[in-house]
Amino acid sequence: MKVKNFIKDVGGASRVTKARLNAFASASPALESTDPIGDVSRAWHPGPIELVVTKITPACKTAKTIRFERTDGGKLPFFYAGQYIVLDFKIGESLISRPYSISSAPFEARAEHPFVEITVRRSKGDGFICDYVNDELKVGDILTGTMGLGQFYYEPLRDAYHVVALAGGVGITPFASMAKEVVNGTLDIDLTILYGSVSSDDIVMRDELDKLDGVCDKLKIVHVLSGDEPGWTGEKGFLTAEIIKEYSAEDTTYFICGPQVMYKFLHGEVAKLDVPARRVRFEVFGQVKDIAVYEGYPRDLRDETFELTVVRGISEVKIPAKSCESIVVALERAGIRIETGCRSGECGFCRTKVLSGDYFVCPEGDGRREADKDFNYIHACAAYPLSDMKIKIPIL
Amino acid sequence: MKFYKDHYDVIVIGGALAGLSSALMLADKGLDVLVLERHNLPGGIATSFVRGGIEIEAALHEMMSIGPKENRLKVGKFFDDMGVDIDWLPVPECYHASLPGLEVTLHPGLERFSREVDEQVPGTYDKVLKLLKLCDTVFNSVNELSIHPMSKPQMLLKHEAFVKTAGYSTKEVLDTFDLPQKALDLLAPYWIYVGSGFSDLPFTIYSVLMADYVGYGSMIPKKLSHEMSLKMAERAEEMGVQIEYRQQVDKILVKKGKAYGVRTARGDEIYADYVISSAYPNKVYTSMIEPLTEVPAEATKMVNGRRLSLTAFSVILILDKPAEELNIKDYSIFRGDTMDTDVLYENLAGLGPYRYLTCICHNYGNPGVTPEGTCSFSVTVLPRVDGWKTVAAEDYDRVKHEVAKQLIDDMSDYFGVNLLDHVLECVIETPMTIAHYTGAWNGCIYGYAHTMEDHIVARLQTAEAERFIEGLEFAGAHAISGDGMGPAVTNGRKAAKNVLDDIAAKEAKR
Repeated sequence: MKVKNFIKDVGGASRVTKARLNAFASASPALESTDPIGDVSRAWHPGPIELVVTKITPACKTAKTIRFERTDGGKLPFFYAGQYIVLDFKIGESLISRPYSISSAPFEARAEHPFVEITVRRSKGDGFICDYVNDELKVGDILTGTMGLGQFYYEPLRDAYHVVALAGGVGITPFASMAKEVVNGTLDIDLTILYGSVSSDDIVMRDELDKLDGVCDKLKIVHVLSGDEPGWTGEKGFLTAEIIKEYSAEDTTYFICGPQVMYKFLHGEVAKLDVPARRVRFEVFGQVKDIAVYEGYPRDLRDETFELTVVRGISEVKIPAKSCESIVVALERAGIRIETGCRSGECGFCRTKVLSGDYFVCPEGDGRREADKDFNYIHACAAYPLSDMKIKIPIL
Repeated sequence: MKFYKDHYDVIVIGGALAGLSSALMLADKGLDVLVLERHNLPGGIATSFVRGGIEIEAALHEMMSIGPKENRLKVGKFFDDMGVDIDWLPVPECYHASLPGLEVTLHPGLERFSREVDEQVPGTYDKVLKLLKLCDTVFNSVNELSIHPMSKPQMLLKHEAFVKTAGYSTKEVLDTFDLPQKALDLLAPYWIYVGSGFSDLPFTIYSVLMADYVGYGSMIPKKLSHEMSLKMAERAEEMGVQIEYRQQVDKILVKKGKAYGVRTARGDEIYADYVISSAYPNKVYTSMIEPLTEVPAEATKMVNGRRLSLTAFSVILILDKPAEELNIKDYSIFRGDTMDTDVLYENLAGLGPYRYLTCICHNYGNPGVTPEGTCSFSVTVLPRVDGWKTVAAEDYDRVKHEVAKQLIDDMSDYFGVNLLDHVLECVIETPMTIAHYTGAWNGCIYGYAHTMEDHIVARLQTAEAERFIEGLEFAGAHAISGDGMGPAVTNGRKAAKNVLDDIAAKEAKR
């Protein structure tokens, strides 16, 4: 066996070792190594940041827009129009998180006076955080938020240039962000928003939207009222296939965000349009109102309360958990922190190991990995206890 | 509330393949181990995610060193020994090479591969087989010497080919075979898995690469690489390892030259006799050691004297047609407008257009991985960190889309089908994505470049002298064996072995 000659061949190992030691010997002794790629990742996703409420304005008679700035006044993270922010609230003994679509635009988060806004509607009795935001939150309040989350945004390599947004009620918020970005010239799409409301005084963010409409030929906003209202000259009825078609281009991507009943209705209407599946994008479903309506849920257990043993590190605590509420809700009620994102079962932020016990997983948007299912992992925001249970969650 | 024990034998920073391999091996020997992982699941980039209801592989193209059940290679054997039972699927081919003047699919098996090269470049069979057999000999020596070190004269006697090729680059050894350019081109595509041009890549590394992949073929886990990572983590916990997710380690505590614990971002101080770090030495020696005055000058010089290797950029598409209807016919396609690896290595220093692409269609190795009527197709380049270090946060989205578009357009031209007309889901993974999820220094997944100045043989020779802080070991692509998911396991085992040897030596002294 010979590569060059015997002496050179057998001296290889010593030669390369010398070369390596020489390289180190002549290297700088200063601590100069930097991580600019990591720095960019942190500019987009810094993790939880501290925010202060700086302005609250009515967005219609039942909703408010809350403006947040960083407590240090600095720029907010980059994000895509359509994404959401998760805000952490401490109410009494409870530690509660909620995702809200960002209603301000990405360029506003990076402006000279950077801010981010959410627009929240008072609930009809089922969302006490929405009411808290509307009634209790005040200028100067400080909370933490994690932003730039979710997949509900325009992706140029996937979506058509013509976008028809189908919005219902407060589901307008991600589209308000997109509209502002289009008008600002930083989102290059042709956007038509079909916005369904019950009555004209029920239209969330109407003033802001009307100011944007007509400013730029790439944005059109069409209000559609389902209620009968004297003097209304705009579109009437529901967001049916017929009206959607009227505003569609030959190749259109549909973005859909609104209440759960609207999703069910629009699944049917969009099917009538006969467009490929890749052209239809729904925002996540949200927390289901009543888990007991789903097939497979044992209805006789719906009013039970079980014991939930929560393991963090080498410690354990026991808390009550209602069978009709997700495990995340049980933890939040007990003041135990758990990280959540979409609260729809999809994103996996609240991925949790089940050590023992039975549970029901909401079939709406079950985003678990296959191997996770095999090893009893749940997304705790979409899993409901059906017996006493023991789970392990991260130490936060 | 008390979340940690007062003391552990070993704290492992990072619950990816290397860290979990360390943990498995140490727990197997009865040690008390704590693994701290910053993400909320194990695996690092050996993971998956769900988009639009479809579970998508994040990183693994093909896993080396597994081998069939009856004839396991070292990583496959380690999993078996540890009781980590993964559902492996064989990858059906080595690769489809799409190179100037060549369109050919090559398959594993030294003879078969040589025959297939010969069909393209007649008259090369003997030489190619001789080369691959030389690789195999060197590969066997490397494996044996990593378990049973021996003296230099002994080595020359028993591992002659390994010793005599160790001082040469891949190009220097390949030149002695006097092969036509086309044959050389067909022997080069895997270069990207080790990431240096042939004039600077140690032949030792090339040998291991070719012998392992071409000789034995590669595997993928049925439920994607998350199956592998999760099964390792689950087995480790079963063996008594405590794994805590969402725990970022900020500091490694050192006193009088000895590591004694860590502090997490949450503020927990946790103590142990040993710390194994998956965080890069660059990060450890510049910001994690507390106090920094405990960092010896040699450690800083070592970090500054080494070159970071490759990171990754992938655009992963879920397409709304079966692969064959889109003219996608192979599991893996390596496509380049040249196969001159030195030229390509220079090209990887920039931000594109990139000239060497690696494509995977998982459906061919793992039928049913996407729903009926769809397929998964990814295009990857493995750039050097240099170009991506220059991208500012405000330009990031634009650059990422420009590069992704180039990759998709290039493959659309190749297939004669505009892939953009079929995109159900589109995920772009960048060096920044990797940095975000794993914390890897500059998003680098390959550790330090395998070069003639940072040769694996030299790394082994000087390894002892580079254990600068007592009780601190490193496990990850930045460790001796370098990049790849197979070597990650080997790196993790080596770190665990150092700890075990150290304990044994101390006990012997006592």
